[in-house]
Amino acid sequence: MRKTRPQGFRFFVGLAVASALAIGLAYALLAGERRQTESARDQRLAVVRLRALTEAVEISTAPGETGLQPLLIEWKARLKDSPPARVIVTQGIRLEASTFPQDVGEKAAPRRLAREEKPLFDQAARLRAAVETNRSEGAQRVEEIEVARTPSGGLGLAAPIEKEGAVVGMVQMETVSVAHAAHPNRAVALLYFAAPVALFVLLSGVAGERKWLLALLAAVLLVGALARYTQHSRTVLESDQRGLVTAVAGEIRVQAAALPGILAAVSAPPGIHPETWDSDLFRRPRGIVSADGSVSEESLRGVIDSSAVPVEKAIAGVGILALAVLSFLGFGGAAHLWATLRKHREAYVYITPAMLGMIVLVFFPFLYGVAISFTDQTIYTTSKPLTEIWTGLTNYAQILGDFHMARRAADGALVFNYLNFYWTFFFTVVWTVSNVTIGVSVGLLLALILNTPGLALRPVYRVLLILPWAVPNYITALIWKGMFHQQFGVINQMIQIFGGQPVSWFEKPFSSFVTALATNGWLSFPFMMVISLGALQSIPAEIYEAARVEGATRWQQFKAITLPSLKPALIPAIIISVVWTFNMFNIIFLVTEGEPASSTEILITQAYKFAFQKYRYGYAAAYSVVIFLILLVYGTVQNRATRATEAI
Amino acid sequence: MKPFRVAAVTLGLALAGALAAGAAEIVVWHAYRAEEKEAFEKVVAQYNASPAAKGNRVTTLAVPYDAFADKITAAVPRGKGPDIFIYAQDRLGGWIEAGNTVDPIDFFLDKATRDRFIPTTLEAVTYKGTVYGLPLNYKVITMIYNKKLVTTPPKTSGELVAVAGKLTNQKAGRFGLAYSYADFYYHACLMNGFGGGVFDAKGRPTLNSPQNVQSMQLLMKWFEKDRILPAEPSTALITSLFNEGKAAIVFSGPWFLGEIAKGVDYGLALLPTLDEAGGKPMRPWMTVEGVFIATPSKNKDAAYEFARYLTDLPAAKVLAIEGRQTPSNKGVYNDPQVAKDSVLQAFRKQVDVAVPMPNLAEMTMVWSPATTAMNTLTKKAATPQAALDAAQKKVEADIAGLRKRS
Amino acid sequence: MARSRREETVPHWLLHAVLIVVTLIAVYPILWVLTIAFSGKQSLALVDLPAVPTAADRLRAVVPWPDHPNATNFVSVMKDQPFARWLVNGAIVALATTVLGIFLACTAGYAFSRFRFPGRRAGLMSFLVSQMFPGVLTLIPLYIILVKWLGLGSTRTGLVLVYTTTAIPFCVWMLKGYFDTIPKDLEEAALIDGASAPTIFLRIVLPLAKPAIAVTALFCFLTGWNEFILAATLMDKENMYTAPVGLRFFVGGFSQQWGYFAAGAIIVSIPVVALFFYLQKYLVSGLTAGGVKG
Repeated sequence: MRKTRPQGFRFFVGLAVASALAIGLAYALLAGERRQTESARDQRLAVVRLRALTEAVEISTAPGETGLQPLLIEWKARLKDSPPARVIVTQGIRLEASTFPQDVGEKAAPRRLAREEKPLFDQAARLRAAVETNRSEGAQRVEEIEVARTPSGGLGLAAPIEKEGAVVGMVQMETVSVAHAAHPNRAVALLYFAAPVALFVLLSGVAGERKWLLALLAAVLLVGALARYTQHSRTVLESDQRGLVTAVAGEIRVQAAALPGILAAVSAPPGIHPETWDSDLFRRPRGIVSADGSVSEESLRGVIDSSAVPVEKAIAGVGILALAVLSFLGFGGAAHLWATLRKHREAYVYITPAMLGMIVLVFFPFLYGVAISFTDQTIYTTSKPLTEIWTGLTNYAQILGDFHMARRAADGALVFNYLNFYWTFFFTVVWTVSNVTIGVSVGLLLALILNTPGLALRPVYRVLLILPWAVPNYITALIWKGMFHQQFGVINQMIQIFGGQPVSWFEKPFSSFVTALATNGWLSFPFMMVISLGALQSIPAEIYEAARVEGATRWQQFKAITLPSLKPALIPAIIISVVWTFNMFNIIFLVTEGEPASSTEILITQAYKFAFQKYRYGYAAAYSVVIFLILLVYGTVQNRATRATEAI
Repeated sequence: MKPFRVAAVTLGLALAGALAAGAAEIVVWHAYRAEEKEAFEKVVAQYNASPAAKGNRVTTLAVPYDAFADKITAAVPRGKGPDIFIYAQDRLGGWIEAGNTVDPIDFFLDKATRDRFIPTTLEAVTYKGTVYGLPLNYKVITMIYNKKLVTTPPKTSGELVAVAGKLTNQKAGRFGLAYSYADFYYHACLMNGFGGGVFDAKGRPTLNSPQNVQSMQLLMKWFEKDRILPAEPSTALITSLFNEGKAAIVFSGPWFLGEIAKGVDYGLALLPTLDEAGGKPMRPWMTVEGVFIATPSKNKDAAYEFARYLTDLPAAKVLAIEGRQTPSNKGVYNDPQVAKDSVLQAFRKQVDVAVPMPNLAEMTMVWSPATTAMNTLTKKAATPQAALDAAQKKVEADIAGLRKRS
Repeated sequence: MARSRREETVPHWLLHAVLIVVTLIAVYPILWVLTIAFSGKQSLALVDLPAVPTAADRLRAVVPWPDHPNATNFVSVMKDQPFARWLVNGAIVALATTVLGIFLACTAGYAFSRFRFPGRRAGLMSFLVSQMFPGVLTLIPLYIILVKWLGLGSTRTGLVLVYTTTAIPFCVWMLKGYFDTIPKDLEEAALIDGASAPTIFLRIVLPLAKPAIAVTALFCFLTGWNEFILAATLMDKENMYTAPVGLRFFVGGFSQQWGYFAAGAIIVSIPVVALFFYLQKYLVSGLTAGGVKG
């Protein structure tokens, strides 16, 4: 075929690309991490100021005639570089004090908030609700300090003001953006990229054209360079972290030194707590800087170590990716892929349009669902990035690790816990198997009958028989439910015509299941009938004639000719209807509603309840993924057994 | 050609007018249909034509109820939704917790506006101390009876059992009383009547409180001992029974009136008081359609002005008389035309004892366990205490599951 | 093919008996829908029995027939809202789905059946796999993709695309299976005659696959015709709604107007039945041996 390149060259190219990728991504990671530290620094410095000022506001009891305005002016005057601040009081929708440049003259505080200042009032109300919610739930769920980027690139911050345990307003401030240029050293990165490539050129001569030796050499050089670069990143990040804490400690010292004077100037009592100022957004002190502004080395070490872990994990991932690229290029995978694409061009052209649609509109949402399943996303956390609420396999462990399937009641009777995953799974399997069996056998039987040559009125039957498929099932499902009503349902009336006793269908799990089964069976047989009708047309009549000539009975003909010929169309239809029935939400929802006592819930109705009744999206997504995996196993096994992907 | 030109000219004028005033389009989503929709659109047209609109134009979109909540959840936080949507308060907590959906309106709300509403309806759209919308209409269950079968509606539960008992013939499928008692929403009027409820003041579930147990015991007495109720009471069944004269009294809301067949002469009366609860009234749950302003809306000011117009007297009168709705505006019930409307007055009386349905996000977790409890109870598979204990346990576990992160 | 019938075949009266029983079961609940639709009322019909019912009373009770048949429900459905408009919208969307779905499924199905290429099995499985993931949480990501990324909010195109991707996995499998049963000799002969691949596909294979295409068409049409939640979520104009959306106005929330819903459901079913009536000739006149040889 094509002329093969020398092994050494391939690995050279592979190493160059992989190394560029690895060091490039590691550089980007480092840069991102540094940017984050920078913005964390801005934020923490601002939070220290905000908390210090808030404490001062809270201490200044009974603002009197002049209100809080003098305090804010004093604070801004005595502390250089102080950002402008506002005090909002919810009672009476008031701007109590402000050092913002626009709040002067007619708009000077104190005054009522203007209409376009609604967001300020809403923010204060939100902070009050946040504090109250966290208190009443006994958990830290909603952030009690709000931080957002301002359009000009600075930070807008707000913290609640508490008086006697109740939130009465907020302090709000806006910092200006500080330009930072903290790019990691580019030359270092370039060196770590170039060094392994250069070394490879030097050493590959020794290895000659031995594939495995070349691969090993390239891999060692790649991993070595990346490891060294990781160490470099660590040092850079550590010094950044130390710089951050030093800056925070410095700001605390400045504020702590100035505040007593400021408070005295507005004749407020002293008593500040600088150790609480460096806090997270739930107003919990971080405990790194003490009241006198000294840094606890032990806590700092802990912070540095724990912040290094995610970076190192990410770099390890990058390493694996780079190795994959290296081996793909080095062992000739890329060349092979290109050749394949060219050779089977036609087939790929035929498939691409359908595939493209599927990828965008089906597999994307699907991957999103999978990602959610590893998080603890609930209605409370929908706006948080997934990494923040990542919980790994916790949801799966909870779903699959729950074995409380039954318990003994006080009187010794066995009470099933129908909401248990395994019980629901068992019921779902029973539900699916019985439904598909009914659907396929009735559908196939009808198709065979309707395919009988010369049978009168066939078009009429055909049209009447697809009616269950044609009429919207929302109403027919409810008609079926009504037919099973204990007193007014026609089924019990018919039973009584024949002298039977009426049945209370929805009282026991089994009879309740029967109602759903009847409904779904009725709804699904026309589909199978139409499929079978179509498939039957692929069997040439001559084959039957030949078989008859050889004296085959009808049953033999059915087994030897009809079934095998139906297989290519029927097997996919069966697989797909198993999948659909497994996830048949509507019918259960409309007919049995899971009653009695959730015994007729199937997996999909459970997943739905977790998502929309219990608002636990992560858990519901994990439930969905489990359903998917079960079906995937089924599909693969069935496919292997029947070789449906292959032609007959 | 001529009509076309006229249309073009009017359109041009309208456009010019709109541009001149720097007008905004205010999009409103609602789930009304038939006469409710017509009345609503009439109010919107009046607003658009009035100077109050200040050149702004309100347009409406009706969304089927079954898709409405999903549509709001999908569209509004992504900035693709309306400026205003009208929805019952039961989903309010969920949307507020999810964020970027409903805007608080405390800031706009002055005393005069606050005072125009029946107080409990405003309470229904208040979440954790903040008002999130203006209450438009409320819906409550009341007693509806067939005048041919019942001459004087019962005032107490004792009278109810006596009247209903006489009119019941189980075998013939005739019942003195029929309502969807196995539906927790309907059962709430008994539950609240005994002083029970779903959450305490701090939002903790209280499903198995003694009052709730008592309410279930009374229901089971009606069902088992007095035998005045049909089995498996779906809403469709209740409607059919009442329409065919087989149910003398039903407990249902304004929606039921639209389903009553022509020729059935019916009357409305207050739900009876409960002898078993010391003569306290039955207290149904109240759902309130709130006018909510979407957080991403660019025209909140104008949107609020429309919300105020919509809940003001003239609009409320149109909604009441033509839309057959029950407005939250209390002044409208003094209007001479509304004052002599027995249906509207009956609901107005009933709402005085109604309890706003909880708007906490956790409310959605109550329905399924509560429904199971109601079903196990009415299928006689558990005692009231046991059924409610099981529901309480389930709801507690679900709430803990939602809040487990700290 | 009609010539060769044999003495040992099952007697036709027996087949009719089976068919009549099954047809009765199939039609019975729909007769109740018709009864409600023509009752002029909004409530579901009830069995009306005296206190001591005889078997005859019960028998009369289980026969679906309205007390005073009238068409007021139908008139109200069509007159009180732009239902006709919604029907037309629905038909446009469903037909576009059908056309696009058949096109995509035929090309992909043909490639999976006739070509052998790397990734074939995986590709085929991926269509199946797409059906396995429960759609519980997919509404929001789908909304983001369609409305925010592709800008297809409130357009028919958006709906058609979603419906098509919903329908094609099954259609691809169905057609692939059917293409497998069409002998290759014909195509090989044509190839020798110098016909190009697209010509063979269009001129020889597709005509032979009519029964499967008919099934596929029906399936695609129903997928687009009956869907409700996406249509209601994506469309931001009332005059863009499809028929199922209009239908759901009757039964949402507290109020349940079953009479209107039943009448609407009947109206909505008519096009489906008509389509099936049209397509069924392909379902019975497909691949005869003569066809292959000719």
